[in-house]
Amino acid sequence: MEKGLTVRRIVIAGVLGAIAILLGVTRLGFIPVPTAAGNATIMHIPAVIGGIMEGWGVGLIIGLIFGVSSFLNATVPLFKDPLVAILPRLFIGVTAYFTYVGLKRFNEYAAIGVAGFVGSMTNTILVLFMAVVRGYMPAGVAASVAVMSGLPEAIVSVIVTLAVVVAWKKLGSSGKQKSKISGGL
Amino acid sequence: MSQEFELTRNITIGQYLPTGSVIHRLDPRFKLASFVIMIIAIAICGTYIGNLFALLVCLLMFALARIPLHYGISGVKPAVPFIIILALMQLLFYGEIAQGGTIFFQYGFVTISSEVIRLVVVSAMRFVEVIFLSSVLTLSTSTTELTHGMERLLGPLEKVKFPVHAFALIITISIRFVPTFAMEMEKMMKAQASRGAEFGTGQWWRIIKRTKDMFPIIVPLFNVALSRAEDLILAMEARCYTPGAVRTRYAHYKAAPKDFAAIGASVLLSAVILAIPW
Repeated sequence: MEKGLTVRRIVIAGVLGAIAILLGVTRLGFIPVPTAAGNATIMHIPAVIGGIMEGWGVGLIIGLIFGVSSFLNATVPLFKDPLVAILPRLFIGVTAYFTYVGLKRFNEYAAIGVAGFVGSMTNTILVLFMAVVRGYMPAGVAASVAVMSGLPEAIVSVIVTLAVVVAWKKLGSSGKQKSKISGGL
Repeated sequence: MSQEFELTRNITIGQYLPTGSVIHRLDPRFKLASFVIMIIAIAICGTYIGNLFALLVCLLMFALARIPLHYGISGVKPAVPFIIILALMQLLFYGEIAQGGTIFFQYGFVTISSEVIRLVVVSAMRFVEVIFLSSVLTLSTSTTELTHGMERLLGPLEKVKFPVHAFALIITISIRFVPTFAMEMEKMMKAQASRGAEFGTGQWWRIIKRTKDMFPIIVPLFNVALSRAEDLILAMEARCYTPGAVRTRYAHYKAAPKDFAAIGASVLLSAVILAIPW
Protein backbone atom coordinates (compact mmCIF):
# COMPACT_ATOMS: atom_id res chain seq x y z
CA MET A 1 0.00 0.00 0.00
CA GLU A 2 1.27 3.45 -0.92
CA LYS A 3 2.39 5.59 2.00
CA GLY A 4 1.08 9.04 2.89
CA LEU A 5 -2.02 10.86 1.70
CA THR A 6 -2.63 10.26 -2.00
CA VAL A 7 -5.31 12.07 -4.01
CA ARG A 8 -7.47 8.96 -3.61
CA ARG A 9 -7.16 8.95 0.17
CA ILE A 10 -7.81 12.68 0.45
CA VAL A 11 -10.99 12.46 -1.64
CA ILE A 12 -12.33 9.28 -0.04
CA ALA A 13 -11.71 10.69 3.46
CA GLY A 14 -13.53 13.89 2.46
CA VAL A 15 -16.47 12.11 0.89
CA LEU A 16 -16.95 9.62 3.73
CA GLY A 17 -16.54 12.50 6.21
CA ALA A 18 -19.42 14.21 4.39
CA ILE A 19 -21.58 11.11 4.91
CA ALA A 20 -20.68 11.06 8.62
CA ILE A 21 -21.79 14.70 8.91
CA LEU A 22 -24.94 14.06 6.86
CA LEU A 23 -25.99 11.09 8.99
CA GLY A 24 -25.52 13.31 12.04
CA VAL A 25 -27.69 16.17 10.82
CA THR A 26 -30.53 13.98 9.52
CA ARG A 27 -32.44 11.49 11.64
CA LEU A 28 -31.14 8.67 9.46
CA GLY A 29 -28.01 8.36 11.60
CA PHE A 30 -29.98 7.39 14.69
CA ILE A 31 -31.88 4.24 15.55
CA PRO A 32 -34.03 4.85 18.62
CA VAL A 33 -33.46 2.22 21.32
CA PRO A 34 -35.02 2.08 24.77
CA THR A 35 -31.86 2.87 26.80
CA ALA A 36 -30.44 5.81 28.73
CA ALA A 37 -28.40 6.76 25.66
CA GLY A 38 -31.63 7.19 23.70
CA ASN A 39 -30.23 6.25 20.31
CA ALA A 40 -27.99 3.73 18.67
CA THR A 41 -25.93 5.47 16.04
CA ILE A 42 -24.66 4.43 12.63
CA MET A 43 -22.63 7.61 12.14
CA HIS A 44 -19.38 5.80 12.86
CA ILE A 45 -19.78 3.48 9.86
CA PRO A 46 -18.04 5.86 7.37
CA ALA A 47 -14.97 5.82 9.64
CA VAL A 48 -15.01 2.00 9.67
CA ILE A 49 -15.40 1.81 5.88
CA GLY A 50 -12.71 4.46 5.32
CA GLY A 51 -10.32 2.58 7.61
CA ILE A 52 -10.87 -0.71 5.80
CA MET A 53 -10.67 0.76 2.30
CA GLU A 54 -7.85 3.27 2.59
CA GLY A 55 -5.88 2.60 5.76
CA TRP A 56 -5.76 3.78 9.36
CA GLY A 57 -4.86 7.39 8.50
CA VAL A 58 -8.06 7.87 6.49
CA GLY A 59 -10.05 6.10 9.24
CA LEU A 60 -8.58 8.44 11.84
CA ILE A 61 -9.42 11.58 9.83
CA ILE A 62 -13.02 10.44 9.20
CA GLY A 63 -13.28 9.62 12.91
CA LEU A 64 -12.12 13.16 13.69
CA ILE A 65 -14.69 14.67 11.30
CA PHE A 66 -17.41 12.50 12.85
CA GLY A 67 -16.30 13.49 16.38
CA VAL A 68 -16.22 17.21 15.64
CA SER A 69 -19.59 17.13 13.85
CA SER A 70 -21.18 15.17 16.71
CA PHE A 71 -19.68 17.71 19.14
CA LEU A 72 -21.09 20.66 17.18
CA ASN A 73 -24.53 19.11 16.59
CA ALA A 74 -24.96 17.48 20.00
CA THR A 75 -28.26 17.88 21.79
CA VAL A 76 -27.16 15.57 24.62
CA PRO A 77 -24.89 17.20 27.25
CA LEU A 78 -22.63 14.14 27.16
CA PHE A 79 -21.51 14.95 23.61
CA LYS A 80 -20.90 18.63 24.27
CA ASP A 81 -17.76 17.49 26.07
CA PRO A 82 -14.92 17.29 23.51
CA LEU A 83 -13.22 14.56 25.52
CA VAL A 84 -16.27 12.31 25.05
CA ALA A 85 -17.36 13.43 21.58
CA ILE A 86 -14.04 13.70 19.75
CA LEU A 87 -11.21 11.75 21.39
CA PRO A 88 -12.74 8.21 21.36
CA ARG A 89 -13.89 8.59 17.72
CA LEU A 90 -10.32 8.88 16.47
CA PHE A 91 -9.74 5.18 17.11
CA ILE A 92 -12.75 3.74 15.24
CA GLY A 93 -11.13 3.53 11.80
CA VAL A 94 -7.75 2.62 13.27
CA THR A 95 -8.97 -0.52 15.06
CA ALA A 96 -11.15 -1.46 12.07
CA TYR A 97 -8.14 -1.21 9.74
CA PHE A 98 -5.83 -3.30 11.91
CA THR A 99 -8.53 -5.94 12.42
CA TYR A 100 -9.09 -6.10 8.66
CA VAL A 101 -5.38 -6.35 7.87
CA GLY A 102 -4.85 -8.99 10.55
CA LEU A 103 -7.69 -11.23 9.36
CA LYS A 104 -7.57 -10.60 5.59
CA ARG A 105 -5.30 -13.55 4.85
CA PHE A 106 -7.82 -16.03 6.35
CA ASN A 107 -11.01 -14.83 4.68
CA GLU A 108 -11.61 -11.39 3.24
CA TYR A 109 -15.39 -11.34 3.83
CA ALA A 110 -15.00 -12.41 7.46
CA ALA A 111 -12.23 -9.83 7.89
CA ILE A 112 -14.50 -7.03 6.65
CA GLY A 113 -17.36 -8.18 8.91
CA VAL A 114 -15.19 -8.52 12.02
CA ALA A 115 -13.57 -5.14 11.29
CA GLY A 116 -17.06 -3.60 11.13
CA PHE A 117 -17.88 -5.15 14.50
CA VAL A 118 -14.60 -4.13 16.13
CA GLY A 119 -14.80 -0.56 14.81
CA SER A 120 -18.33 -0.16 16.13
CA MET A 121 -17.47 -1.65 19.54
CA THR A 122 -14.43 0.66 19.75
CA ASN A 123 -16.80 3.60 19.42
CA THR A 124 -19.23 2.26 22.04
CA ILE A 125 -16.65 1.16 24.61
CA LEU A 126 -14.38 4.21 24.40
CA VAL A 127 -17.26 6.74 24.42
CA LEU A 128 -18.88 5.07 27.44
CA PHE A 129 -15.51 4.77 29.18
CA MET A 130 -14.93 8.51 28.72
CA ALA A 131 -18.52 9.23 29.84
CA VAL A 132 -17.86 7.34 33.08
CA VAL A 133 -14.45 8.98 33.57
CA ARG A 134 -15.94 12.46 33.00
CA GLY A 135 -18.81 11.78 35.41
CA TYR A 136 -21.80 11.80 33.06
CA MET A 137 -22.80 8.21 33.73
CA PRO A 138 -22.27 5.62 36.46
CA ALA A 139 -20.40 2.48 35.37
CA GLY A 140 -23.50 0.26 35.76
CA VAL A 141 -25.61 2.38 33.41
CA ALA A 142 -22.72 2.53 30.92
CA ALA A 143 -22.47 -1.27 30.89
CA SER A 144 -26.20 -1.64 30.20
CA VAL A 145 -25.99 0.96 27.39
CA ALA A 146 -23.03 -0.95 25.91
CA VAL A 147 -25.15 -4.08 25.66
CA MET A 148 -28.50 -2.48 24.77
CA SER A 149 -27.35 -0.07 22.08
CA GLY A 150 -23.74 -1.13 21.46
CA LEU A 151 -24.61 -4.59 20.18
CA PRO A 152 -27.39 -3.50 17.75
CA GLU A 153 -25.01 -0.77 16.51
CA ALA A 154 -22.28 -3.34 15.94
CA ILE A 155 -24.62 -5.70 14.06
CA VAL A 156 -25.87 -2.89 11.80
CA SER A 157 -22.26 -1.83 11.28
CA VAL A 158 -21.27 -5.36 10.16
CA ILE A 159 -24.15 -5.51 7.65
CA VAL A 160 -23.59 -2.05 6.15
CA THR A 161 -19.79 -2.39 6.06
CA LEU A 162 -19.99 -5.75 4.32
CA ALA A 163 -22.60 -4.52 1.82
CA VAL A 164 -20.66 -1.38 0.93
CA VAL A 165 -17.09 -2.67 0.90
CA VAL A 166 -17.87 -5.91 -0.92
CA ALA A 167 -20.01 -4.13 -3.52
CA TRP A 168 -17.31 -1.51 -4.02
CA LYS A 169 -14.53 -4.04 -4.36
CA LYS A 170 -16.48 -5.88 -7.05
CA LEU A 171 -17.21 -2.61 -8.83
CA GLY A 172 -13.52 -1.86 -8.73
CA SER A 173 -12.55 -5.16 -10.30
CA SER A 174 -14.39 -4.23 -13.51
CA GLY A 175 -11.84 -1.41 -13.80
CA LYS A 176 -14.20 0.86 -15.72
CA GLN A 177 -14.54 3.72 -13.29
CA LYS A 178 -11.27 3.72 -11.42
CA SER A 179 -8.45 6.12 -11.87
CA LYS A 180 -5.43 4.45 -13.48
CA ILE A 181 -3.02 6.53 -11.38
CA SER A 182 -4.14 5.85 -7.83
CA GLY A 183 -6.78 3.13 -8.15
CA GLY A 184 -5.03 0.13 -6.73
CA LEU A 185 -7.82 -1.29 -4.60
CA MET B 1 -45.36 14.16 4.88
CA SER B 2 -43.33 15.93 2.20
CA GLN B 3 -41.27 17.50 4.99
CA GLU B 4 -40.00 14.00 5.78
CA PHE B 5 -37.94 14.12 2.60
CA GLU B 6 -36.69 17.67 2.74
CA LEU B 7 -33.32 16.89 4.23
CA THR B 8 -31.58 19.95 2.83
CA ARG B 9 -33.85 22.19 4.88
CA ASN B 10 -32.47 20.87 8.18
CA ILE B 11 -28.84 21.25 7.25
CA THR B 12 -27.42 24.31 8.94
CA ILE B 13 -23.78 23.69 8.05
CA GLY B 14 -22.30 26.85 6.69
CA GLN B 15 -25.05 28.93 8.30
CA TYR B 16 -23.51 32.36 8.53
CA LEU B 17 -25.05 35.59 9.79
CA PRO B 18 -23.17 38.53 8.30
CA THR B 19 -23.63 41.36 10.79
CA GLY B 20 -20.16 42.81 10.19
CA SER B 21 -19.44 42.99 13.92
CA VAL B 22 -15.99 43.14 15.47
CA ILE B 23 -16.10 39.34 16.04
CA HIS B 24 -16.95 38.77 12.37
CA ARG B 25 -13.96 40.84 11.32
CA LEU B 26 -11.42 38.97 13.45
CA ASP B 27 -8.70 36.96 11.74
CA PRO B 28 -10.12 33.39 11.56
CA ARG B 29 -6.87 31.89 12.91
CA PHE B 30 -7.03 33.97 16.06
CA LYS B 31 -10.78 33.63 16.39
CA LEU B 32 -10.63 29.83 16.20
CA ALA B 33 -7.77 29.65 18.71
CA SER B 34 -9.60 31.98 21.12
CA PHE B 35 -12.77 29.89 21.00
CA VAL B 36 -10.85 26.63 21.47
CA ILE B 37 -9.13 28.06 24.56
CA MET B 38 -12.48 29.17 26.00
CA ILE B 39 -14.19 25.82 25.28
CA ILE B 40 -11.35 23.93 26.99
CA ALA B 41 -11.59 26.23 30.04
CA ILE B 42 -15.36 25.64 30.23
CA ALA B 43 -14.92 21.86 29.87
CA ILE B 44 -12.54 21.86 32.84
CA CYS B 45 -14.29 24.40 35.11
CA GLY B 46 -16.31 22.74 37.87
CA THR B 47 -17.43 25.66 40.04
CA TYR B 48 -20.74 27.55 40.30
CA ILE B 49 -19.39 31.09 40.06
CA GLY B 50 -16.82 30.09 37.41
CA ASN B 51 -19.62 28.73 35.21
CA LEU B 52 -21.85 31.71 35.93
CA PHE B 53 -19.03 33.99 34.83
CA ALA B 54 -18.52 31.87 31.69
CA LEU B 55 -22.26 32.17 30.92
CA LEU B 56 -22.03 35.95 31.22
CA VAL B 57 -19.04 35.93 28.87
CA CYS B 58 -21.06 33.89 26.34
CA LEU B 59 -23.96 36.37 26.50
CA LEU B 60 -21.47 39.20 26.01
CA MET B 61 -20.15 37.37 22.91
CA PHE B 62 -23.65 37.32 21.39
CA ALA B 63 -23.98 41.05 22.04
CA LEU B 64 -20.53 41.76 20.60
CA ALA B 65 -21.20 39.65 17.49
CA ARG B 66 -24.64 41.31 17.16
CA ILE B 67 -26.24 37.88 16.77
CA PRO B 68 -29.77 37.55 18.24
CA LEU B 69 -29.71 35.36 21.35
CA HIS B 70 -32.56 33.17 20.03
CA TYR B 71 -30.05 31.47 17.68
CA GLY B 72 -28.22 30.17 20.76
CA ILE B 73 -31.42 29.36 22.64
CA SER B 74 -32.79 27.39 19.67
CA GLY B 75 -29.69 25.18 20.00
CA VAL B 76 -30.40 24.58 23.70
CA LYS B 77 -34.17 23.92 23.39
CA PRO B 78 -34.05 20.39 21.93
CA ALA B 79 -31.62 19.41 24.69
CA VAL B 80 -33.86 20.32 27.64
CA PRO B 81 -35.37 16.79 28.05
CA PHE B 82 -31.85 15.28 27.97
CA ILE B 83 -30.61 17.79 30.54
CA ILE B 84 -33.48 16.82 32.85
CA ILE B 85 -32.84 13.06 32.37
CA LEU B 86 -29.10 13.57 32.97
CA ALA B 87 -29.81 15.62 36.09
CA LEU B 88 -32.14 12.92 37.48
CA MET B 89 -29.59 10.18 36.77
CA GLN B 90 -26.81 12.13 38.42
CA LEU B 91 -29.03 12.88 41.44
CA LEU B 92 -29.95 9.20 41.83
CA PHE B 93 -26.67 7.46 41.10
CA TYR B 94 -23.89 9.85 41.94
CA GLY B 95 -24.25 10.00 45.72
CA GLU B 96 -21.59 7.35 46.24
CA ILE B 97 -19.17 8.70 43.64
CA ALA B 98 -19.33 12.46 44.27
CA GLN B 99 -18.13 12.20 47.84
CA GLY B 100 -17.88 15.15 50.20
CA GLY B 101 -20.08 18.14 50.90
CA THR B 102 -23.13 18.30 53.12
CA ILE B 103 -25.59 15.41 52.87
CA PHE B 104 -29.18 16.66 52.55
CA PHE B 105 -30.98 13.39 51.94
CA GLN B 106 -30.11 9.71 52.12
CA TYR B 107 -32.27 6.68 51.40
CA GLY B 108 -30.89 3.35 50.21
CA PHE B 109 -28.37 3.98 47.43
CA VAL B 110 -29.71 7.49 46.82
CA THR B 111 -27.59 10.18 48.45
CA ILE B 112 -28.26 13.79 47.65
CA SER B 113 -25.39 15.97 48.81
CA SER B 114 -24.15 19.44 47.96
CA GLU B 115 -21.47 17.82 45.74
CA VAL B 116 -24.09 15.94 43.68
CA ILE B 117 -26.15 19.11 43.25
CA ARG B 118 -23.02 20.92 42.12
CA LEU B 119 -22.34 18.19 39.55
CA VAL B 120 -25.91 18.48 38.19
CA VAL B 121 -25.90 22.29 37.96
CA VAL B 122 -22.38 22.54 36.54
CA SER B 123 -23.04 19.87 33.82
CA ALA B 124 -26.18 21.71 32.65
CA MET B 125 -24.49 25.13 32.66
CA ARG B 126 -21.42 23.82 30.86
CA PHE B 127 -23.65 22.42 28.13
CA VAL B 128 -25.48 25.72 27.59
CA GLU B 129 -22.20 27.65 27.51
CA VAL B 130 -20.58 25.36 24.91
CA ILE B 131 -23.70 25.59 22.68
CA PHE B 132 -23.65 29.38 22.95
CA LEU B 133 -19.95 29.61 22.15
CA SER B 134 -20.07 27.22 19.18
CA SER B 135 -23.14 29.10 17.85
CA VAL B 136 -21.29 32.43 17.99
CA LEU B 137 -18.26 30.89 16.27
CA THR B 138 -20.14 29.23 13.41
CA LEU B 139 -22.60 32.10 12.89
CA SER B 140 -19.83 34.68 12.72
CA THR B 141 -17.37 32.73 10.52
CA SER B 142 -17.95 31.37 7.02
CA THR B 143 -16.91 27.77 6.36
CA THR B 144 -14.17 28.94 3.97
CA GLU B 145 -12.74 31.17 6.68
CA LEU B 146 -12.97 28.33 9.19
CA THR B 147 -11.05 25.90 6.99
CA HIS B 148 -8.45 28.54 6.09
CA GLY B 149 -8.09 29.43 9.75
CA MET B 150 -7.68 25.80 10.71
CA GLU B 151 -5.11 25.20 7.99
CA ARG B 152 -3.00 28.16 9.14
CA LEU B 153 -3.36 27.23 12.82
CA LEU B 154 -2.13 23.71 12.11
CA GLY B 155 0.69 25.16 9.96
CA PRO B 156 3.46 24.53 12.52
CA LEU B 157 2.62 20.81 12.42
CA GLU B 158 4.04 20.73 8.87
CA LYS B 159 7.45 20.64 10.54
CA VAL B 160 6.62 17.21 11.96
CA LYS B 161 5.38 16.05 8.52
CA PHE B 162 1.68 16.43 9.37
CA PRO B 163 -0.19 16.88 6.05
CA VAL B 164 -1.84 20.17 6.98
CA HIS B 165 -2.91 21.20 3.49
CA ALA B 166 -4.32 17.76 2.70
CA PHE B 167 -6.21 17.79 5.99
CA ALA B 168 -7.77 21.19 5.23
CA LEU B 169 -8.69 19.93 1.75
CA ILE B 170 -10.41 16.89 3.28
CA ILE B 171 -12.49 19.14 5.53
CA THR B 172 -13.38 21.39 2.57
CA ILE B 173 -14.45 18.38 0.48
CA SER B 174 -16.55 17.07 3.39
CA ILE B 175 -18.39 20.34 3.89
CA ARG B 176 -18.84 20.84 0.15
CA PHE B 177 -20.39 17.40 -0.35
CA VAL B 178 -22.89 17.42 2.51
CA PRO B 179 -25.64 19.28 0.56
CA THR B 180 -24.91 17.19 -2.58
CA PHE B 181 -25.37 13.94 -0.69
CA ALA B 182 -28.43 15.31 1.09
CA MET B 183 -30.00 15.86 -2.33
CA GLU B 184 -28.98 12.37 -3.45
CA MET B 185 -30.51 10.97 -0.28
CA GLU B 186 -33.75 12.89 -0.88
CA LYS B 187 -33.94 11.45 -4.39
CA MET B 188 -33.39 7.92 -3.11
CA MET B 189 -35.95 8.32 -0.33
CA LYS B 190 -38.55 9.61 -2.79
CA ALA B 191 -37.74 6.79 -5.22
CA GLN B 192 -38.13 4.19 -2.47
CA ALA B 193 -41.26 5.82 -1.08
CA SER B 194 -42.86 5.78 -4.52
CA ARG B 195 -42.33 2.01 -4.48
CA GLY B 196 -44.15 1.82 -1.15
CA ALA B 197 -41.23 1.91 1.30
CA GLU B 198 -41.72 3.54 4.68
CA PHE B 199 -39.04 5.31 6.66
CA GLY B 200 -39.01 5.39 10.43
CA THR B 201 -42.76 4.92 10.67
CA GLY B 202 -42.54 1.77 12.80
CA GLN B 203 -43.01 2.17 16.54
CA TRP B 204 -39.85 3.22 18.31
CA TRP B 205 -39.36 -0.10 20.08
CA ARG B 206 -39.38 -2.04 16.80
CA ILE B 207 -35.65 -1.58 16.37
CA ILE B 208 -35.15 -4.30 13.75
CA LYS B 209 -37.96 -2.98 11.51
CA ARG B 210 -36.68 0.60 11.74
CA THR B 211 -33.13 -0.50 11.05
CA LYS B 212 -34.17 -2.60 8.05
CA ASP B 213 -36.04 0.42 6.66
CA MET B 214 -32.76 2.28 6.46
CA PHE B 215 -30.72 -0.19 4.44
CA PRO B 216 -32.22 0.69 1.01
CA ILE B 217 -31.01 4.26 1.62
CA ILE B 218 -27.72 3.84 3.47
CA VAL B 219 -26.06 1.25 1.24
CA PRO B 220 -26.79 3.04 -2.10
CA LEU B 221 -25.79 6.33 -0.46
CA PHE B 222 -22.30 4.96 0.20
CA ASN B 223 -22.06 3.62 -3.34
CA VAL B 224 -23.20 6.90 -4.89
CA ALA B 225 -20.71 8.75 -2.68
CA LEU B 226 -17.84 6.47 -3.63
CA SER B 227 -18.57 6.77 -7.35
CA ARG B 228 -18.65 10.56 -7.00
CA ALA B 229 -15.33 10.28 -5.17
CA GLU B 230 -13.97 8.33 -8.13
CA ASP B 231 -15.02 11.14 -10.52
CA LEU B 232 -13.40 13.74 -8.30
CA ILE B 233 -10.17 11.71 -8.08
CA LEU B 234 -10.04 11.51 -11.88
CA ALA B 235 -10.70 15.24 -12.21
CA MET B 236 -8.01 16.15 -9.67
CA GLU B 237 -5.45 13.82 -11.18
CA ALA B 238 -6.26 15.10 -14.68
CA ARG B 239 -5.34 18.57 -13.41
CA CYS B 240 -2.08 17.17 -11.99
CA TYR B 241 -2.99 17.81 -8.37
CA THR B 242 -0.09 16.58 -6.24
CA PRO B 243 -0.55 16.24 -2.49
CA GLY B 244 2.21 17.88 -0.51
CA ALA B 245 3.40 20.12 -3.35
CA VAL B 246 4.26 23.74 -2.56
CA ARG B 247 1.45 26.04 -3.67
CA THR B 248 0.57 29.68 -3.45
CA ARG B 249 -2.54 31.00 -1.71
CA TYR B 250 -5.34 33.26 -2.81
CA ALA B 251 -6.38 34.39 0.68
CA HIS B 252 -3.72 35.97 2.85
CA TYR B 253 -4.35 36.81 6.48
CA LYS B 254 -2.51 39.51 8.34
CA ALA B 255 -2.95 39.73 12.10
CA ALA B 256 -4.02 43.14 13.43
CA PRO B 257 -3.72 44.36 17.04
CA LYS B 258 -7.41 43.51 17.60
CA ASP B 259 -6.64 39.84 16.85
CA PHE B 260 -3.91 39.74 19.48
CA ALA B 261 -6.30 41.52 21.86
CA ALA B 262 -8.94 38.80 21.19
CA ILE B 263 -6.58 35.95 22.01
CA GLY B 264 -5.27 37.84 25.07
CA ALA B 265 -8.84 38.38 26.26
CA SER B 266 -9.73 34.70 25.82
CA VAL B 267 -6.65 33.59 27.79
CA LEU B 268 -7.44 36.10 30.54
CA LEU B 269 -11.13 35.13 30.70
CA SER B 270 -10.25 31.41 30.72
CA ALA B 271 -7.80 32.01 33.57
CA VAL B 272 -10.50 33.86 35.53
CA ILE B 273 -13.05 31.07 34.84
CA LEU B 274 -10.60 28.45 36.14
CA ALA B 275 -9.29 30.54 39.05
CA ILE B 276 -12.68 31.26 40.67
CA PRO B 277 -12.71 28.90 43.67
CA TRP B 278 -16.47 28.43 44.26
